[in-house]
Amino acid sequence: MNLFKIEMMKIRLSSYLWAVFGIFISMQAMGILFLFLGVYTPQEGELFTEWSGLSALSTALTIACFSVFSAVAGGRMIVDEYCGKNAVMLFTYPVRRKKILNVKCMILLCITTGAVFISNTSVLGIMYFTAKIFGIMPESSEGSFILQVLLSGLLSGIISSAIGIISAAVGWIKRSVMAAVICSLLIVCIVPNFIAGMPGHIVMTTFAAGVCSIFAAGGMYRFLAKGIERMEV
Amino acid sequence: MNIILEVNSVEKSYGYSQVINHCSFKIREGEIYGLLGINGAGKTTLMKMILGLQQTDRGNIRVLGRESGDDTEYLSKIGSMIEIPVFYEHLNAVEILSMHLALMGKKGNIPETLAMAGLENAGKKPVSRYSLGMRQRLGIARAVIHAPKLLILDEPLNGLDPVAITEMRELMRNLAARGMSILLSSHMVGEIRHTADRIGILSDGYIKQEFSVAEQAAECGENFEDYVINYMRRKG
Repeated sequence: MNLFKIEMMKIRLSSYLWAVFGIFISMQAMGILFLFLGVYTPQEGELFTEWSGLSALSTALTIACFSVFSAVAGGRMIVDEYCGKNAVMLFTYPVRRKKILNVKCMILLCITTGAVFISNTSVLGIMYFTAKIFGIMPESSEGSFILQVLLSGLLSGIISSAIGIISAAVGWIKRSVMAAVICSLLIVCIVPNFIAGMPGHIVMTTFAAGVCSIFAAGGMYRFLAKGIERMEV
Repeated sequence: MNIILEVNSVEKSYGYSQVINHCSFKIREGEIYGLLGINGAGKTTLMKMILGLQQTDRGNIRVLGRESGDDTEYLSKIGSMIEIPVFYEHLNAVEILSMHLALMGKKGNIPETLAMAGLENAGKKPVSRYSLGMRQRLGIARAVIHAPKLLILDEPLNGLDPVAITEMRELMRNLAARGMSILLSSHMVGEIRHTADRIGILSDGYIKQEFSVAEQAAECGENFEDYVINYMRRKG
């Protein structure tokens, strides 16, 4: 049994999957609502009447929701584990602390990125077919729409995971899962607005936000790893 | 007999409070060493330092000839149960023991260990449905399944009924007879007296008195408990 499998055993994956499903349904409902909003209130502008706007809006909301999801998951996997009584047990194994933390972060990254990518592309895909069925197709300014959706889905996943890791590190410093969630809420007040604010350049904005988040998450991860390595329980 | 654990002049402070002060003792192969002290004497701190969960301020601890804290490899030769055992509540005993063996990098007989701990019929039940006594038994099963050379048990008989306590004592004796060294802590004199070969009384941060249970019991007779409590109580 490898470390990845062991860490997967520790978490209740089904509860995370239900949460992902819940977020997906909500995102889908909002996506369809935005689609019809564009038809009945065309004066609202490109955000609801063009695919680029709808895609930016959906991506921004997906990042907001999944960043909080990632922070909760990170809180459970990292803060609860290292700040609770489990740490005593965890540190009595002949495995480097950093190695276990790496696996935890990798699982968080995989779950979040996978969930965001599938959710965002599915939401936009279903919106596309709904628009086709009802004949309310918004304008598409670019031919490479599918590539744009796939790229923004992947980048959103990376952003959400990075926010999850940053939040988990803050939660570890404060010894509280709640602090991790609050941190993620504060971050999602900024990042999704930045993305939704420039609907014409969604890939560029998500890419820029992704790069910034990766650097910030990398810094926080190093801090977290050093702290856990030296931690006394 | 080989020395399995060697604690040499270890010191530990939390802020201005010195919890462990020039504490030294040794445990030999196959010996059950009882660490006796009042609540807050530093028994758990000492055990955590042996496991590398806490750093020593001064002194050193050698487990099987290697200094603790050098690397994590020596931990595979130690089994431990510190404070109340914690588990992942949604897992069952078999899953918990398999996970433990994988992390220790060792092999072990899960059904046999569960039977030894009296949990043969509870292997598939999630731990969230275990009683306190069952958790304690599972904690002990987890500590011994990988056949460690040194077993560290912090108040292991807490929460067990009298029958289970007797069974646990027998289990510890059997393990010691197979060459496993056991460091057992408690604040209850009777509990330690009936289990340990040797007792070290931890008071004022160091081992104030150390003796063989058989010899001291023969010498003190009925006053054994008073003799021990006097050392536990004494200050300075």
